Amino acid sequence: MRYLLMLLFFVVSVAAQHTATHRDSIKSLEEVTIKSATKNKIETEMKMAISVDEFLSSSANISFIKRGAYAWEPLLNNMSTERSTLTIDGMHIFGACTDKMDPITSYVESNNLATIDIKSGQEGNMHGSTVAGSIDLKRKSTAFSENALWKGTYQSGFEFNNKQFFNLGNVSFSSQKWVADGSISYRKAENYSDGNDDEVNHSQFKKFNSSLGLAYKTSDLSSVRVEAIFDMAKDVGYPALPMDLWLSRAVIASASYKLLFEKGLVKVWDSKVYFNAIEHYMDDTTRPENLVHMDMPGWSTTYGLLSRINLKKEQYSSEIQLNAYDNLSIAEMRMYPQDRSERTMFAYSWPWVTTRYAGLSMNNVWEISEKSQVNVGGSLGINYNYSKYIDFNWIFHPGAPQEKTRFLPSLNAGYIFDSNQFNFSIGTGYGHRAPSVSEGYGYYIYNSFDRYDYIGNPNLKNEISYEANAAAGFKTDKLSVQGKINYFYIQNYIIGRILSMGSPMNYQSVGVKGYTSLDYATLLNMSLNATYDILPHLHWNGVLTYARGMDDNGGNLPFIRPLSYQTSLHFMHKNFGIQTSINGDFEQIHYSPEYGEDETPSYTIWNISADYSFKINRMKAVVQVGAENILNEYYSTYADWGNIPRMGRNIFTSLKVNL
Amino acid sequence: MKFFKLFAVAFFLAIASSCTLDKTDFEAELETEVPEYYEFEEAAVLTVENYTIHIEALNGTFYKGYNEIRLHIKDAHTNTELSSSEVTFLPIITHLAGDNASGPHQYKLSYNATEKYYSGYVVFPEESSQGNWQFYISFTDANQVFKGTQQVMVETQTNKNLNMASFIGADSEQYFIALVAPQKPTVAENNLVAGIYKYDKPTTSAGTFPDPSQFSYSVVSNYTLKLDPRMPEPSMGNHSSPNNKDLTQQNDGLYHGVVNYTMTGNWTLNLMLFNQAGQLLKGTVVPTDFTPGVQGVKSELYIDTLF
Repeated sequence: MRYLLMLLFFVVSVAAQHTATHRDSIKSLEEVTIKSATKNKIETEMKMAISVDEFLSSSANISFIKRGAYAWEPLLNNMSTERSTLTIDGMHIFGACTDKMDPITSYVESNNLATIDIKSGQEGNMHGSTVAGSIDLKRKSTAFSENALWKGTYQSGFEFNNKQFFNLGNVSFSSQKWVADGSISYRKAENYSDGNDDEVNHSQFKKFNSSLGLAYKTSDLSSVRVEAIFDMAKDVGYPALPMDLWLSRAVIASASYKLLFEKGLVKVWDSKVYFNAIEHYMDDTTRPENLVHMDMPGWSTTYGLLSRINLKKEQYSSEIQLNAYDNLSIAEMRMYPQDRSERTMFAYSWPWVTTRYAGLSMNNVWEISEKSQVNVGGSLGINYNYSKYIDFNWIFHPGAPQEKTRFLPSLNAGYIFDSNQFNFSIGTGYGHRAPSVSEGYGYYIYNSFDRYDYIGNPNLKNEISYEANAAAGFKTDKLSVQGKINYFYIQNYIIGRILSMGSPMNYQSVGVKGYTSLDYATLLNMSLNATYDILPHLHWNGVLTYARGMDDNGGNLPFIRPLSYQTSLHFMHKNFGIQTSINGDFEQIHYSPEYGEDETPSYTIWNISADYSFKINRMKAVVQVGAENILNEYYSTYADWGNIPRMGRNIFTSLKVNL
Repeated sequence: MKFFKLFAVAFFLAIASSCTLDKTDFEAELETEVPEYYEFEEAAVLTVENYTIHIEALNGTFYKGYNEIRLHIKDAHTNTELSSSEVTFLPIITHLAGDNASGPHQYKLSYNATEKYYSGYVVFPEESSQGNWQFYISFTDANQVFKGTQQVMVETQTNKNLNMASFIGADSEQYFIALVAPQKPTVAENNLVAGIYKYDKPTTSAGTFPDPSQFSYSVVSNYTLKLDPRMPEPSMGNHSSPNNKDLTQQNDGLYHGVVNYTMTGNWTLNLMLFNQAGQLLKGTVVPTDFTPGVQGVKSELYIDTLF
């Protein structure tokens, strides 16, 4: 598996040392060699019981758009989710909310994930076409074992600020022939309070998640596996929006067959069929102050197939993957007049849009020497869209085609040099992506950030990305420094522009924007990470990131993270550990009023936590107590919708027991 | 392992259940407010000597507003339908007060040779609750003129998309605007068709009743009907739609334009009628501001629709 892992420039591994992190913070991405048997825990140094969002935010090229305490939208390389591929074990899942209130990260829970695999730019083309890169959530899967073995983990905790109480349980069974993994979790949180100790209304949530995986070894070198995740969230508030989530439900199921080969060029052949169905029901029954009562249900159903082979011969190795999926996205809106006996008003915000994709991706690695390797990869995909109720799209784009087929090529190449002390890499990439369902076929999708209704354009051109990236690092026994930079030049950059025609439909909005293509946009991301072992048990870590996004007129792109920093100290002594970190953003100078942004002031957050490991009847247990935002700073970040304030001081406790 | 098997069964049972909320059936949604009139059925029948006249209308009913009518005239002796007759048609309402009035109509019916019927239209400005509607029909056969009358019922228009308006224009003439299509609009670009008529003021004094010259209407030519559709609901804040086209006269004599409905519900077609010379006869410009919470201001000339 080594060659595979060598490919990953950006592997997030929290189990690795020197990666002290924190929610809402950043850390550098390290190349980590993971042995195939060991699985990494989803936790950060700062906090062991975290949500998937908090875990993702511990990666340097991930930032978040937040509309409340729940379901943050991950931005990879400062680009929104349309530009990245988000998958669970390679399975494509599309949220059912037109307002992107349900990124697929909201349909998993930290206790059914093993790692999150983040690849930047065109290196992330393995699961489909992308511009920003890929985020693949890897589920836990226990290995077959010689003797029957039961394992379990139970985790519970309480967070004082929003009275969040959570219980996470895992159990696994493994034997020579059978493996089973199960997990169950429940979180319940009330409104949180900001730095002024004011309650932020509509920020509560309840989430239930459960997963099950069963594997059977069909021969010495083959196995079948069926897996399913069931996720349900209820009564989720979005303080930045005029409505809340009543219920969301996701069923994610798959069956896979894996074949290993001892001899020959082909080493592994892994195939999977999958199905997922997402339901997402938003309404504003909890907001009596609203002028219009409105329901916004959405559905997204995806069927897919993926098949992957790994090849290896001497210094050459390769991974080839076939992806195919069919997605149907439906979103409705129904507005109720003040006089409820009157006729309700109905429209589709996604008029039954089908997306079919089939693509073949390939990544080749050639190890030139012990220290250096060359990667060359590419993919070619066919993307097909069909809008059933094209009449909706015709209102703004008369005569637009009901069906559209696009070809999406992608190429990338890189060189990596890694000696004991120095490492260095350069890479380049080229790739197309198709507009998302909202960008292509959305209809009066209300965006509460800039308060415009957005209209999709079926005639949009493919977005074409040209990218270059480089990284360099230096390492001694005690010190390590790593710098990374990437630059994207994106042709036909899709963004919403004010339309002179049409008038808003949602009463909160101020106008109508249509998705259009800019001639180009550019994006620059930089990060610098340093670690230093002050004493054998005292480690320091510091991170600095900077990004700049500009449109073709030199104006600022929205949602670009300002200069940000994070520094932490981690001390361990026997069974006792203590961590403290400071993180923050500088003032957002390059904000974009055109896209609804205002200047966000700087902020600094200080956190501290302590943990203690002990044993109860041979069961390992860890207890942790900590506080986030100790100084109770009142702040909101550049990406908080409606400048909703973030959580104030939060004391958290958790207990984890390995059964 | 037994634990897992039980868990698996329970798990898959839980997830196999279907969607929590049903998706909206869009076709059914459109039908909730719009009765469909798509078939011509017999609405009235009268006998004149040995001839039987079958009058057909959509759904077999006459409604306030625009109605297309079809006539079959059958000779009972020969059991054949007349095909070269000159047929005239005059609808007259007698109000309770005793005065008479009519509505725009095609006085001389035309013959459709392929479908074999006489066709015309009538715009009823009033329902039968306002008075007694009579059809005065005459036709010729073998150079002989036959006349008959028939009382008909004019019902309330239940399809708001076929509403009409009548008014006195700035030129002191009486005008009628009646929606003809779409009968069943949808959230789409809809071809909007309307008939625009004028009452021809009689130049001679009334002859023997019913004197057609006293009840003459004509299709106005080369007028322009400016269109600004909006949702009047306060919650919709004067919402409008893009890419609409004003109505202009086409070869069929009717006025054609485009209305885009962005969602279902109540809509108001705000209108402004201009004559050939571009003189405004009726209607006002409506505000275009987005005003949530305020009932939309309507033009002086408007027609409400609902679907």
